[in-house]
Amino acid sequence: MLTASRRFRVWGWSGDDLIRLFFQGNALVAILVLGLITIFLFREGMGFFPQYQKELQLYRKSGLEFVEVMRQQVEAHKALSRLLFQVEKAERQNATPTVTSQQKIAFKNYLAQFRKIIVPLIDLEMEWEKVAVDLRDRYRVAQDKKERKEALLQSGKFQEEEQIRIETFDFQKNANFLKDTLPRYHQINRVISDEINRLINQAPHWTSSKANEQWDEFRESVTRYLSQMPHREKQLEEWNAFEPVPWIRALAGFLLGKEWITQSFWNDFYGILPLLTGSFLIASVALALAVPLGIGAAIYVSQIASKTEQKWIKPCIEFIATIPSVVLGFFGIVVLGEGIRWLTQQEFLSWVPFFPVHNRLNIFTAGCLLGFMAVPTIFTLAEDALNNVPRIFKEASFALGANSLQTILKIMVPAALSGIMAAVLLGFGRVIGETMVVLLVAGNRIAIPDFTQGLGVFFQPAHTMTGIIAQEMGEVVRGSLHYRALFMVGILLFLISLTVNYFAQSLVKRFKISIG
Amino acid sequence: MKNKKHNPFKHRPSYAHGLQSFCFNFFRAMTYFILICAVVIFANIFFKGAKTLFLSHFPYVNVDFLTQFPETLHVFQDPMTHETRELGEVAFRHYEAQLAQQGIALSSEVHAYAGGGIFPCIVGTVLLVSGSMLIALVLGIFSAIYLSEFGKQGRLIHWIRVAIGNLAGVPSIIYGLFGFSLFVIFLKWNFSLLSGCFTLAIMVLPIIITASEESLRAVPRGFREGSLALGATRWQTIRKSVLPYALSGILTSSILGIARVAGETAPIMFTAAYLVRSELPWQGLNKMSDFFFQGVQALPYHIYVLSTKVPQNEYTERVQYGTVFVFLLAIMFIALTSVVLRIKMRNRFRW
Repeated sequence: MLTASRRFRVWGWSGDDLIRLFFQGNALVAILVLGLITIFLFREGMGFFPQYQKELQLYRKSGLEFVEVMRQQVEAHKALSRLLFQVEKAERQNATPTVTSQQKIAFKNYLAQFRKIIVPLIDLEMEWEKVAVDLRDRYRVAQDKKERKEALLQSGKFQEEEQIRIETFDFQKNANFLKDTLPRYHQINRVISDEINRLINQAPHWTSSKANEQWDEFRESVTRYLSQMPHREKQLEEWNAFEPVPWIRALAGFLLGKEWITQSFWNDFYGILPLLTGSFLIASVALALAVPLGIGAAIYVSQIASKTEQKWIKPCIEFIATIPSVVLGFFGIVVLGEGIRWLTQQEFLSWVPFFPVHNRLNIFTAGCLLGFMAVPTIFTLAEDALNNVPRIFKEASFALGANSLQTILKIMVPAALSGIMAAVLLGFGRVIGETMVVLLVAGNRIAIPDFTQGLGVFFQPAHTMTGIIAQEMGEVVRGSLHYRALFMVGILLFLISLTVNYFAQSLVKRFKISIG
Repeated sequence: MKNKKHNPFKHRPSYAHGLQSFCFNFFRAMTYFILICAVVIFANIFFKGAKTLFLSHFPYVNVDFLTQFPETLHVFQDPMTHETRELGEVAFRHYEAQLAQQGIALSSEVHAYAGGGIFPCIVGTVLLVSGSMLIALVLGIFSAIYLSEFGKQGRLIHWIRVAIGNLAGVPSIIYGLFGFSLFVIFLKWNFSLLSGCFTLAIMVLPIIITASEESLRAVPRGFREGSLALGATRWQTIRKSVLPYALSGILTSSILGIARVAGETAPIMFTAAYLVRSELPWQGLNKMSDFFFQGVQALPYHIYVLSTKVPQNEYTERVQYGTVFVFLLAIMFIALTSVVLRIKMRNRFRW
């Protein structure tokens, strides 16, 4: 202390204090960065909801929402036609030999008649659609002009400002126009239901059992379709162009929306559900592979393997972690995807219902590669956890007469269980946040996979949260709704990974106490 | 004991014993399955990549591939010799002009990026990695010194540790978004080498801090106590009796960080990596600072482009595998250095 007091001081801080402060400042960078990431993600992303709410409001005001009901009906009718086509196809393939070619033509005509019913509605829908889309586009142009006008005003260019004319809009008139055509819609609907009923009653006699089976299914769908008609009509009757869209609707539209549609002429929707399901399906495949492999290898290396085996297997598996993900993605495209497609086309595997697989790039391929990537993470942490179990546990177990297998499975693994769980969690975090492999290999189709196919769902292409950011970020306009939506996806991903990490860390902590 | 039948210590076959050996073999099979997968991947890339990178004649290494710019490849039937020839963009245009003078028209099959080499990508990767490591090492080592030497185990240190632990698990694409919104937009550094370096540095920071702290803690307490007892200040103690012994350990562990930085694609996708640039980073600069405020090409991004935007065929495959091979070789070399250094380190300091 005597020596210290003679040293120079700045505002009462000694040199050592300043050095300490300097280092402290550096360490604070970690917290600072975490804070900055949060701030900047939210800074860019948070504007999404108000903007999306406005967009939805315009969607309603311009009447697009009104026309959407019609579009849905047209889509539903097309789906019915597809079902009927399936019936006809089954009949064609499995028909009894007695069926004449005339009957076959009758079946075809029947299908054509059903398809024709919807034409008036399509015409009407197109007419309305044109009005609504046109109104929306004109309104957007006017908004842009307004902004430019304000910018010109601010920079003092009054003459140029005056030259810009902004169109005024009467949304009420548009809404009235749409509402006025409702009687036509009712009439068309009545014709449609009459025609459908008539066709159903005059249904041809299907000869094959498969066709009959599918016909029953078709009949059921038709009943559902017809019962929806009054509901749709009521929806249109009650539609009000000026009813405000609540902000919760924007939030729900993002979190629960089933469609991620961008750059469409119709309307952009930013529903995250397809991306979320894609991410989780891929993660589940990856974990299903990586968890048994990683933990199995950890058990083998830490408990069973000889010293020499331990010495080289451990660095080898850890070495896998350094393979860059883009290299694995490339391998997936060129080798693994082709390989899986080739394998599923083999004769002896043709009994599997969803084989052969048509998409080279799918959830399964991506899951395999991600599983391979997650193995080192899970292996290293699980092996650590197993090694940290005190020796006395093992010795006590042996002393009681248990053999090695019993000791490993009943003593060592349960004792290390929380560490192993943390390993699995961190592996999950790694898998869900991985970008390049999914971007290259997952197939990038933005749709919720068809779960009705059972296990075949794993062989469909999908898109993920990380993939969509990487793919679309380069092309969006800064500050646009699409841009903010991507940042919102980023925020969600950030929150997921923070939660996973938090739980993993708290698990490790608890695990250390139980050993201590 | 000669007669095995009467050996009283021999294992009698039993259900439990059979189950045990079955399970052990199962675990063994799992372990070797992982290794086999790794070997298959490496072997595939090595064999196909080696065809591009190595030649059967002097100088045995494909120097052109390592020193040229990426080019479009033209494959055509030579009207003079009636052979199938391959030429890069520039050479092909030259040849085409020559033939045009004689009134012969040329038509060619075009393969994007399939000709030339990957020199600018290598340069860009080296610049990005060295820049980011410089930043990350300075920040990381100082933070680690604070955490292990100065910090009292209080609330602040606890929160810093939590933050570091969480940062280590944040997906790399989030760092990309963060770098984009902070460096590219907010600080107006635009799409540049500097933005990329900082983004990568921040990404690798948690790894460096944890690794450095570990090697600092590995220095025995007695070193510090002895120094302090002799009247040295805390800073003198750190500088003279802790850092020299920890520094090599810190660097060794940081090399693994380099491998990670070099391999990442997502963070540089929207902060620094260009698809094509006709000039090397030091060419055509107006002033010195332009060097830092320009985008660069990088190997991982080039591989991404090659594998998504370019269809696979026998011509493009050569460049694809060659690039992946060079990239993997570099990363493996870095990682191996780290492993070897670590083994050497263990033998160097024994306390």
